[in-house]
Amino acid sequence: MIFLTVGTQFPFDRLVKSVDEALGQNGFKEEVLAQIGHTFYQPRNFEAVCSLDRHIFDRYIRQASHIISHAGIGTITMALDNNKPLLVMPRRKCFREHVNDHQVATARKFEQLGHILVAHQENELPTKMGQLRTFMPRKREAQPHAVAERIAQFLHELNVTKE
Amino acid sequence: MYRDRKLRICLAASAGGHMSQLLKLRECWKGHRTFYVTTADIVREKLQKYGEVFVIGECNREHPLWVITVLFRCIRIIRRERPDVIVSTGAAPGLLMCLSGKFFGSKVAWIDSIANVERLSLSGRMAKTFADLFLTQWPELARPHRNVEYVGAVI
Repeated sequence: MIFLTVGTQFPFDRLVKSVDEALGQNGFKEEVLAQIGHTFYQPRNFEAVCSLDRHIFDRYIRQASHIISHAGIGTITMALDNNKPLLVMPRRKCFREHVNDHQVATARKFEQLGHILVAHQENELPTKMGQLRTFMPRKREAQPHAVAERIAQFLHELNVTKE
Repeated sequence: MYRDRKLRICLAASAGGHMSQLLKLRECWKGHRTFYVTTADIVREKLQKYGEVFVIGECNREHPLWVITVLFRCIRIIRRERPDVIVSTGAAPGLLMCLSGKFFGSKVAWIDSIANVERLSLSGRMAKTFADLFLTQWPELARPHRNVEYVGAVI
């Protein structure tokens, strides 16, 4: 099952339409479950809902063989944590899909690091969906404990000065 | 000898990626009295496991009127809860929470979202002017600024 998710803050018609059209063509027979927020476009080739209950969302992430989404950090994190191959399309300001173009840079960075696949434009999507089937994401080494420790130190220093 | 007093800590982040980054840091405020501030009801249930939750609604630079509404909600929460510290990963609503807190005497710790890979976020650049601790998750973004530290990435 492919899980398509675009978040809820802004619509993302380009992505939903591209996936729908790719599925309409030959060769893509996978089942798709989709969470499309306030996207206007209504897909013909798969079921889509506006938003999903947290538990169901988490379950879809776990059950999915592949994930397709916007280049939101929330979804990238979840895909990496669950070791799922992820294909993203960055949201663009010029299409009123976000307040700025930061998703383009995020997508490029995580793509360079080998963590995700990126379709920068709609016409790249069918090819990238093909690549997604065999894509092995590189595991990410993060340092949450180092960051937490720095904040803990900051909190401790505040405590000392408070007394 | 230090006696570690329990701090009242406000943990503020937009629903989605900002909140998932903040939650990765949970260990560092263990033992303190915390409450969460977020933007959408969908995460309320999940956060309630960790403490009290306030939902202030979504806002961004495209909608100045929402910004003002959210700012008033932030001020109301700050005046009621009187946090010692605000910890935030953004975005705009997180900044408004930090700003309101700072105005009423809270300390501010800002962790700029990992989504900002080429330059600090707009909210971050504003928070940088008054934050007491400012962390970025990309080493190359820490270098050009004083007062911006890199110690690692959360995710």
